Amino acid sequence: MPVSALPDGAAQAAAKPLHLHGVRLDHRGGDGRPFRVLDIPDLTIPAGARVGLRGPSGSGKTSLLHLIAGLIVPDAGSVAWDAKAVSSLPIPARDLWRRETIGFVFQDFHLIPELDVAANITLPATFSSWRIDKAQHERAAALAGRMGLGDLRRKARVLSRGEQQRVAIARAVLGRPALILADEPTASLDAEHANEVGALLVEVAREAGATLICASHDAALLARMERVVEIGALTGKPLALAS
Amino acid sequence: MNPFPMVWADIRALRWTALAIVTLVALAVAIGVAIGAQERALRRSSAAAAEDFDLLIGAPGSQTQLVMSSIYLQPDAIPLIDGRLLNTLAKDERVAAVAPIAFGDISRGYVIVGTTADLVSRWGRLKPSEGRFFAGEGEAVLGADVSYKLGETIEPSHGVLGHAAKPGQVDEEEAGHRHEGHGYVAVGRLPRLGSPWDRAILVPVENVWEVHGLGNGHASEEAGIGLPFDGQKIPGVPAIVVKPRSVAGAYQLRAQYRQGGTMAFFPAEVLVTLYRALGDVRDVLVVASVLNAVLILAAVLLLLVAVAGLRRRRYAVLRALGAPRAYVLLVVWLGMALLIGAGCLSGLAVGAVFTRAVSGLVEAQTGLRLAFSLESREMLQVLLLFAIGSVVSLLPALMSYRAPVVAGLRE
Repeated sequence: MPVSALPDGAAQAAAKPLHLHGVRLDHRGGDGRPFRVLDIPDLTIPAGARVGLRGPSGSGKTSLLHLIAGLIVPDAGSVAWDAKAVSSLPIPARDLWRRETIGFVFQDFHLIPELDVAANITLPATFSSWRIDKAQHERAAALAGRMGLGDLRRKARVLSRGEQQRVAIARAVLGRPALILADEPTASLDAEHANEVGALLVEVAREAGATLICASHDAALLARMERVVEIGALTGKPLALAS
Repeated sequence: MNPFPMVWADIRALRWTALAIVTLVALAVAIGVAIGAQERALRRSSAAAAEDFDLLIGAPGSQTQLVMSSIYLQPDAIPLIDGRLLNTLAKDERVAAVAPIAFGDISRGYVIVGTTADLVSRWGRLKPSEGRFFAGEGEAVLGADVSYKLGETIEPSHGVLGHAAKPGQVDEEEAGHRHEGHGYVAVGRLPRLGSPWDRAILVPVENVWEVHGLGNGHASEEAGIGLPFDGQKIPGVPAIVVKPRSVAGAYQLRAQYRQGGTMAFFPAEVLVTLYRALGDVRDVLVVASVLNAVLILAAVLLLLVAVAGLRRRRYAVLRALGAPRAYVLLVVWLGMALLIGAGCLSGLAVGAVFTRAVSGLVEAQTGLRLAFSLESREMLQVLLLFAIGSVVSLLPALMSYRAPVVAGLRE
């Protein structure tokens, strides 16, 4: 079932190309000395692309996702969503941009255990409006159905890990993001669930025309991507991905 | 933005801790409320009980003791004053009404008060709720809570000093000191006064004199009861209540009977002194309860700061999902303010229950009925506590507001 067949009505936020230019990110190590986590001279991810980020632990995959999401700003360089220089926006504007543009999927799902499936999916809608309107409720129900979640009234804490990640994906795409960021979305699942969840993630992104950036060690998941970027190998090399 | 789904989830996540926070705050509030309300109730009802006793005259001694004995009917050995004073006062033009109060006997643990019909009817203010007031010797009017029934015979016993009789119960002391051959018939009952007089048996003062072998104060047996007492010998009484005609007259009477072997005073003066002491005690208790509340708030705050610290990742996830910082601030702050608010509200309720419980004890002990009321003083106290709690809750809320998202996500 294509997402466009869902009772949404509102237009999908249009995916735009993402540019990272001259980005450097330093962390402070345990000894207090700074070390370079990321050094990306040039990276362009075209609108609607599905890109995997691969690299050893500590190579900066998660930091890159946080950088793209505007949760941190680079020590040098810029992150831009088409013409909008996200990395130089003030915090409230970045929050707003993130809310309107990005859907985030985490390795450990990060649902609110005390809320039920429906409330977890619609939670991001409460960041900007007082009431969740009927269309959003219907869209949440349709997304849950799309993810194979039957009972919307079950509390998140009683769900299996696979079910939790499906709820998290539904939550990420509720607001029709143009950019979906996933940080090891299958790493906490067994192989069978990992496969299903990976397939669903890629499908909803493709059907929505959203850009999907997925940091992962999971070869099966990375195989579903159009491109895979080696993060360790990124440093110092100019890189542009063709769509 | 609507933080309430998240606020609700946060409170549910705390569960028993949330309940403990509400309970702690409620206790702090309840103690403060109860102290204030109790002290006021005690003041009001004791003042109401003294309302019909404008001026008391007795033998020189402790004014407080005379007030306690004659108005609040706490038995004590009181020296007597000359009964002829009753006649003198009755003729005094500054006096609207005068009545003796003579006590010393008990029956079934109830104090028997010898007086005249004037004071029984509280200077004409009261009508009997059952039967009638006494019209001759040997008749008795019952207080509202006295367990005798109309028509029953009441046998008086001599009250023993230092022996606290339980109202409604005949004990060995009472049975062993019966005045043989004397008895009263209950002819009427007073409406409820909310004072110790609800537990008194009111009889003609003549009977009290006679029971103690002092005659009846009248020239002949047929003279009837009440003022004037025309006997050769008029027995003494522990206290005389005077209802003056005017304020000026009241002050003159007080001045006049302050000398020459008598003591005269307004019970209200004694009460004011007592209330001042009571107020001081209340102030000390209020300070203690405020400190108590501050300690509890501080403990709750520490707990909430710890909880907010434990929830760093939870709130970082919200930020990563697009929540503005103000949303996180509101979630934390509203959650805490709601808990403290719930504590304040239930504290008012618990305080009311406390006050009623203590009032019940006081009433059982003294017969004083304490009316519970919550007034602006307590409300202000609670509002202030809530306001301080809310402001203080901003601290953990601001901590969460400022917490870096990425550090929270990596926890």
